[in-house]
Amino acid sequence: MTSPGQRLSEAEVNAYIDGELALEDRDEVEGRLAASPADADYVHDIRELNEAMRARYAARLAEPLPAPMLALLGRVPRWPPALATRQAAVVAGLLVGLAGAAVGYAVRSLVAEAPRPEPSFVENAIGAHSVYVPEVRHPVEVRAAEEHLVRWLANRVGAPVRAPSLSDLGWKLMGGRLLPDAGAPAAQFMYEDAGGRRLTLYIRKETGLDNTAFRFYQRNGYGAFYWIDRPLAYALAGRLPRNELLAVANAVYGQLERR
Amino acid sequence: MPSRREAVAAEIPRLRRYARALLGDDGEADDLIQDTLERALARLEQWRDGENPRKWLFSILHNLYVDGLRRKSRRPPHVGLDSVGIEQSAPPADGASGRDLDQALQLLSGEQRQVVLLVGLEGLSYAETAEVLDIPVGTVMSRLARGRGRLRVLMDYEGGDKGGRAALRRVK
Repeated sequence: MTSPGQRLSEAEVNAYIDGELALEDRDEVEGRLAASPADADYVHDIRELNEAMRARYAARLAEPLPAPMLALLGRVPRWPPALATRQAAVVAGLLVGLAGAAVGYAVRSLVAEAPRPEPSFVENAIGAHSVYVPEVRHPVEVRAAEEHLVRWLANRVGAPVRAPSLSDLGWKLMGGRLLPDAGAPAAQFMYEDAGGRRLTLYIRKETGLDNTAFRFYQRNGYGAFYWIDRPLAYALAGRLPRNELLAVANAVYGQLERR
Repeated sequence: MPSRREAVAAEIPRLRRYARALLGDDGEADDLIQDTLERALARLEQWRDGENPRKWLFSILHNLYVDGLRRKSRRPPHVGLDSVGIEQSAPPADGASGRDLDQALQLLSGEQRQVVLLVGLEGLSYAETAEVLDIPVGTVMSRLARGRGRLRVLMDYEGGDKGGRAALRRVK
């Protein structure tokens, strides 16, 4: 391509944003972006625009289908649509309330009281979350459909890492990636719900620190519940209401404990 | 073909999202999806095994969208509020940035909007987008660059102070 410092073409910058570059070109563009603030601004703006579009239209993904579409698919709505939506909302509200109460009860004894400095892996987990969650085309390194995903990450992390199934709560496992954490390997699993929101579960080996209860940490609008259950440390990160994130963290904890 | 029907059904929420963003109107978007669904279900056997259902469905949607545009353009020219509407209306109040983006998208040409949405919102590759729209990849790239550049100006990203980003710049 061209010499460093020179502006990139629009086509190059867009191809970079959209994950259309070969690996070696990607590295080169990244180098040149570092030397070209105007292009780096463009990358930032377009990523923000994409994120804003997903947020703006996310409601459509979660909405129930209109009756005429259901009829075409041979699915008859059980109630007239308006009523169905209202009843579903009431039922959902009740369930959330109940689940919240149950989780609150179960977790109260677990949540630690004394504030302590955050272990560094929590910061790393939130950092990795904020970097990979906005990715449209390459959010994960290995997709969930590939059988070796968990085996590979467990091998690399050097401990029995598992990807909990959160589909009952509406979160689908997308896949995962291997990350460096202070020179040691860490695993990140990513989940997505029907509304396009994403969660990541960050796991690394931890033999130095003591086991902890759930703790909550927040930075730049991202929240994370983290805990240590030796030999592993976990951080569940997302941009969700705290109660919702806690409910998921509790499900993760419950599943991993039963192994 | 129950499994194909299921695969089609699973894509509907995404199709609705795209149609809503493309057309800027809930009712029109659902009409388009209803037609898309009807046509898809009538032609399930044309969907080749192994072909990505999303791409196939977006292609059907696109063809119907273009048919709809042609029908509209055959009607007597209609110069009313529709063609000037947004440009004369005041920018929405602060905090309505969602609507700003929606309006800004509607100010792009349809061709630019399709590409900006298929790539940026739906995550299609350039090659998939080119197939869906039946245009060369080079055209995808040039429309994308123009559309994103324009959107960036409309959303006040470019140049201006970053604090005022959410505001839609008034169009002269």
